Amino acid sequence: MDSLLLWIFLLLPVLGSILCLFLRKPKLVLAFTTVGVLAEDLAGGFLIYPVFTGSPLHTADDWLRIDALSGYHILVMLLVFSLSSIFAYRYFGKEIESGDFKESHAARFGSLWFGSLGAMSLVLLSNNLGLMWVGIEATTLITAFLICIHRSQTSLEATWKYVLLCSVGIALAFLGTLLVGAAASSVSIFHGNGLMWTVLYQNASKLNPLTMKIAFVFLLVGYGTKAGLAPLHNWLPDAHSQAPAPVSALFSGFMLNAALYCIMRYIPIVNAAAQFNFAGHLLLLFGVISMLTAAVFILFQHDIKRLLAYSSVEHLGITAIGLGLGGLGIFAALFHIFNHSVCKTTGFLSAGKLDQIYGTHDMRKMKGTIRRAPVWGSGLFLIFLALVGAAPFAIFMSEMLIIKTAVDHNQILILSFFLAAAGIVFVGVLSHALSTAWGEPPYSLVSEKSKIFDILIVFFPLALLLILGIWMPYPFREVLEKASSILGGKG
Amino acid sequence: MIQDANFILLIVIVLDLYIVSSSRLDTCVNATALQGAALAFLPFALWWKQASSGEMIGLLLIGAGTFVVKSLLIPFLIFRSIREANVRREVEPSISLHFSLFTAAVFVAGSFWMASIVVFPQSPPASLIVPAAFVGVLVGFLLLVSRQKAITQVVGYLILENGIFIFGQILFKELPFIVELGILLDLLVGVLVMGIAINHISRQFDHIDVNRLDELKG
Repeated sequence: MDSLLLWIFLLLPVLGSILCLFLRKPKLVLAFTTVGVLAEDLAGGFLIYPVFTGSPLHTADDWLRIDALSGYHILVMLLVFSLSSIFAYRYFGKEIESGDFKESHAARFGSLWFGSLGAMSLVLLSNNLGLMWVGIEATTLITAFLICIHRSQTSLEATWKYVLLCSVGIALAFLGTLLVGAAASSVSIFHGNGLMWTVLYQNASKLNPLTMKIAFVFLLVGYGTKAGLAPLHNWLPDAHSQAPAPVSALFSGFMLNAALYCIMRYIPIVNAAAQFNFAGHLLLLFGVISMLTAAVFILFQHDIKRLLAYSSVEHLGITAIGLGLGGLGIFAALFHIFNHSVCKTTGFLSAGKLDQIYGTHDMRKMKGTIRRAPVWGSGLFLIFLALVGAAPFAIFMSEMLIIKTAVDHNQILILSFFLAAAGIVFVGVLSHALSTAWGEPPYSLVSEKSKIFDILIVFFPLALLLILGIWMPYPFREVLEKASSILGGKG
Repeated sequence: MIQDANFILLIVIVLDLYIVSSSRLDTCVNATALQGAALAFLPFALWWKQASSGEMIGLLLIGAGTFVVKSLLIPFLIFRSIREANVRREVEPSISLHFSLFTAAVFVAGSFWMASIVVFPQSPPASLIVPAAFVGVLVGFLLLVSRQKAITQVVGYLILENGIFIFGQILFKELPFIVELGILLDLLVGVLVMGIAINHISRQFDHIDVNRLDELKG
């Protein structure tokens, strides 16, 4: 029964992807994607609930498996997909009225949207590390044309950079995967299943430490390119700024996390083989570089979507630092993933809507957003506050936990870089946020009417972040503890 | 059989150098196709003798798949984009061809040296397999950074992939053939996606010079 559900979960998006090609009306495609994603939510809910309360689920000769860690990521993925799909209906609906979103656009969007849901599900469900790699490469190829739904010179430039950089990066990750296989092939327990994560995880201490270390460098650089860790993030701001808002939300909200998830799977294996926190040291290095790079670019940014994109680089860096610190840091990092995904998804959606209202994403021309579009404007302002780590939103809590871990582990150098970068980001983002929200509008404005729908899609995620910032429900904590214990962390 | 494998790998290395030094786009693509064909026979040369009957089917599938994808479909797709994008047939390197060839020669020497110092837990089945893999990866990177046209970047990506493919052959027994076929499919779709992107770029920009795709910054 459970394994049937798992197959349904994996194949539903494939079916949706094919059906989208046969739907003629753009509105119909958008409605269908929303309904399809909600159906996937239902299947996903039934799938992960028993995993959270009981033991991991596996099927197909152990090729597919869900444990607390992948279940938790499925939860985040479904949340991001649901929010952006519902929003896409409204966002592209406006474009249908103006004639910019036609049948061919709609079919392409719907089909690729479902396709990327399927590919990301494959990444999360596969227990074979080779299959996981195939899934990540598939997400790159499927999402590429989502960036240039509307063809323009800049969107094509972004698409090209994205496809080429990520393909090369992921090719290196494959080299890393092969090296892991090479390390496993010399130990007899692994014969025939040297890429099965569960087998590697249980016998990690028998692996050759040097080979595993070299392998992890390739894996981190490879998957790190896709996860947007600096200095490998060059494609990220371009792709995020050129894609339509729901697609940017999906990229930032979950695609980056899917790549980071792949790195996570290797952390306990590499550390057990190397006998010390080797993976952690490298993650700390990349995390700090990401935070500092993002901080500098945020300070001088004028494009609102690029600002949000660099903020993703920063938050992925924070997550990497949490993972690198180990112990409580892993718990905090996983919590941070949830907070950042929810927050950034809503951020891109609001920015996209404001982009439609103002006709630009240059912040120097977007002034007085709160008066012009009360819901989206104030929503985006609150999102900015949450992103820089203002209390009492949940990002504040997860960042505090990471800082606490750094203090406990006596990582003063890391801590000072962290605080410096976070400080620069705080100043940079707030100055942009204040001037867009309250600045003098360039011409007299009629304020946009707010609908119940808009209010829900902006304030539901914010309320979620607020509640989690003040009080973490016990079941949620238990799931986080279960997931972080897989990575060797403590709750 | 091991001599055959080494012979195939030698052809692959020579083709890498040939691609770096050639000034014509068509020659590059043809050489890539030839390299793909040579690689299709590598799994047989390495593993056929010691394969069980189940593994033989896997070998046949991988060999046939590699041949069809790497030496027929991918070159076809690239030639189609060259035709449709209507590009000039020269390579247009940003560093001179002589210097490219010199760099590649240094890479070859470096690869043999690296292969001699890196210790593998299990000795590789053919002596040239590790150096040939390193040469492929490094030459692929060289082409990616030193050529201006989008199509030559695709060729660089393919050479890089071929290098990794060679490396993967060490692990034939560990890598289930479903994964290998998945990788081939990803590669094929990857080149297809890049081809379509090149097509759109040439229509929007009237060129496919990646150095001039520089509008987005900061």
